[in-house]
Amino acid sequence: MTLMKAYLRGLWEGKFILGYTLLLSLTLFIAAPFLMIALRSVGKGWFGRLWLPPQLTLDWYRWAVEVGNIPEVMKNTLIIGAIAVIVSTVIGIFAGWAFGRRQMPGKEVLMAIILLPRMIPPITYALGVAKIFYTLELVDTYLGVAMAHVSVCAPYAILVLSATFEGLDERVLEAAGVCGANTIKRFIYVVLPLILPGILASMIFSFTHSYNEFTLTLLTYGPNTVTLPIRTYLAVGDGYWEITSAMAVIMVVPSLLILAMIQRRAKPEKLVGGFKGV
Amino acid sequence: MTDAMIEFRDVTKRYGSLVANDHFTLTIQRGELMTLLGPSGCGKTTALRCLTGYIRPDEGRIFLDGKDVTELPTHQRELGMVFQSFALFPHMMVQDNVGFPLMIRNLPKDQRQKMVAEALRLVRLEGYETHYPRQLSGGQQQRVGLARALVYRPKVLLLDEPLSNLDAKLREEMRFEIKEVVTRLGITAMYVTHDQAEALALSDRVAIMNRGRLEQLGTPEEIYEKPQSRFVAEFIGLSNFLEGQVQAVDRDTMAVGVGGLQVTVPALPRIGPGHKVLLFLRPNEIELLRPDAPAGMNVFDARVEKATYLGDTMDYRLTLGQGLDLRVQSDAQRRFGPGAQVRLRFPRVRCWAIPGD
Repeated sequence: MTLMKAYLRGLWEGKFILGYTLLLSLTLFIAAPFLMIALRSVGKGWFGRLWLPPQLTLDWYRWAVEVGNIPEVMKNTLIIGAIAVIVSTVIGIFAGWAFGRRQMPGKEVLMAIILLPRMIPPITYALGVAKIFYTLELVDTYLGVAMAHVSVCAPYAILVLSATFEGLDERVLEAAGVCGANTIKRFIYVVLPLILPGILASMIFSFTHSYNEFTLTLLTYGPNTVTLPIRTYLAVGDGYWEITSAMAVIMVVPSLLILAMIQRRAKPEKLVGGFKGV
Repeated sequence: MTDAMIEFRDVTKRYGSLVANDHFTLTIQRGELMTLLGPSGCGKTTALRCLTGYIRPDEGRIFLDGKDVTELPTHQRELGMVFQSFALFPHMMVQDNVGFPLMIRNLPKDQRQKMVAEALRLVRLEGYETHYPRQLSGGQQQRVGLARALVYRPKVLLLDEPLSNLDAKLREEMRFEIKEVVTRLGITAMYVTHDQAEALALSDRVAIMNRGRLEQLGTPEEIYEKPQSRFVAEFIGLSNFLEGQVQAVDRDTMAVGVGGLQVTVPALPRIGPGHKVLLFLRPNEIELLRPDAPAGMNVFDARVEKATYLGDTMDYRLTLGQGLDLRVQSDAQRRFGPGAQVRLRFPRVRCWAIPGD
């Protein structure tokens, strides 16, 4: 809306027309595929020749829920996401503490190794994970798929929480000690409130990555662990574009909710840094 | 039992080959404001942190109010501390910051509120109870720090360079404020700083540290007027150092030959003719006279080499005798230009000598 207003004002004032036009085109270019899917998910008898679908319907959503078994799939996705979030954040807290607060040799090398799963092509990495998981019989289990997700979520959690712990002022903890707080009270009253924003940010990052993860899921899922991205992909293969579109739209909803939550409550970059003192 | 409140006994702390505290021994009396003064790396912060329990000394014991606290964890030592970086809890309002030590001690809420209000009144911060630290200026934050340190009336108040993060004007103001609060409460305080002006203005006694050891201990006057080593003299202010040899000793004065001049200074115990000594002269304590001023004891002719205008004072570089350089600061009312002939008078009592090597 703001962009639209700015564009109109720009037109009105005859300034920046080129700039705003380009910006608006880019926005449309980014938004177009999603608009297309959104329209298709509610359109009936629309074969793409007209500008708008001739008839609107919610049937495809009913089909997606009933035939596509979306509630079950959503449950899988959320359980896997929850496991990935918990495991990644716990790893992130310990590793972040070490990276952010300790002077240790080979810190950069270790960090590079941890970030490696994000650097090599996902399919290469996923193949290796799948091979190991078949041997360990972790394929088609919640834990297995979640652990595969952890390999991409944990690096983010570690990055975010390293920054959080780096921002934690040693002197403030010392002050709490001098004030009479023992280790447990120091943690409850000082450390925890100060790193909570970072933990939240880490959880959000981990969840969105697990929720959106496709490649790693593709090679580790089974009949009992179909997630939303996989379900949607399979539906494309079946050729039902309308139902697939409905699924795709359903899939976007939680992401948008999280985005709205972040935008409303806090700036993401602020969450990462936590309280920086003054 | 003496009236010692804090006692460092042979405290030694090493970091690898670096000795931060080398058999550091110091006693601070009850109700005294003691300053640990020294350049960075002299071990004053290590000593402080040994006292808070943040680091454990390798050797030696630390006593607090007669009790050996060397092994006691920080939170059981009943200390109050003000930090250079303020170290306030950024997620708590001023009242919760100040009330934190009371909350930790499970004091009832109404009593807590009363004590917090009292502490905030002490540092003149009434009305800021619900502000967050980031909403306050540096000076105000440090006052919150002071209130937090004092709120539960600890046995000892520790101040770790509390004014270093403040601007010059505020620093001077806060200096008196801290002094006043500490005096009013009669609390024992240990103040750590590298700023000699702060140390002299605040302290009952000053302990000058160098390379992990106590270099000199004394009242600000003793430290300023009778430094016992070149290190102290250099650290405590600009000084002229003149190496000389004792020529004659006459009861309470002695004559020292310095670069062809004979300077009369107070005598030193166990120093006789032939001993080498080091003379200290403060640039602002040398009298600068006209060339036609009457001759006398400790009056010498000199030549102005360089004159710098500093506003209220003039800073001169002078040469005299056989190649002696002196720095003299004098009133800017009377000025001499480069090349001018002048006479200098060294006030006898202001000429301080220590045994040379």
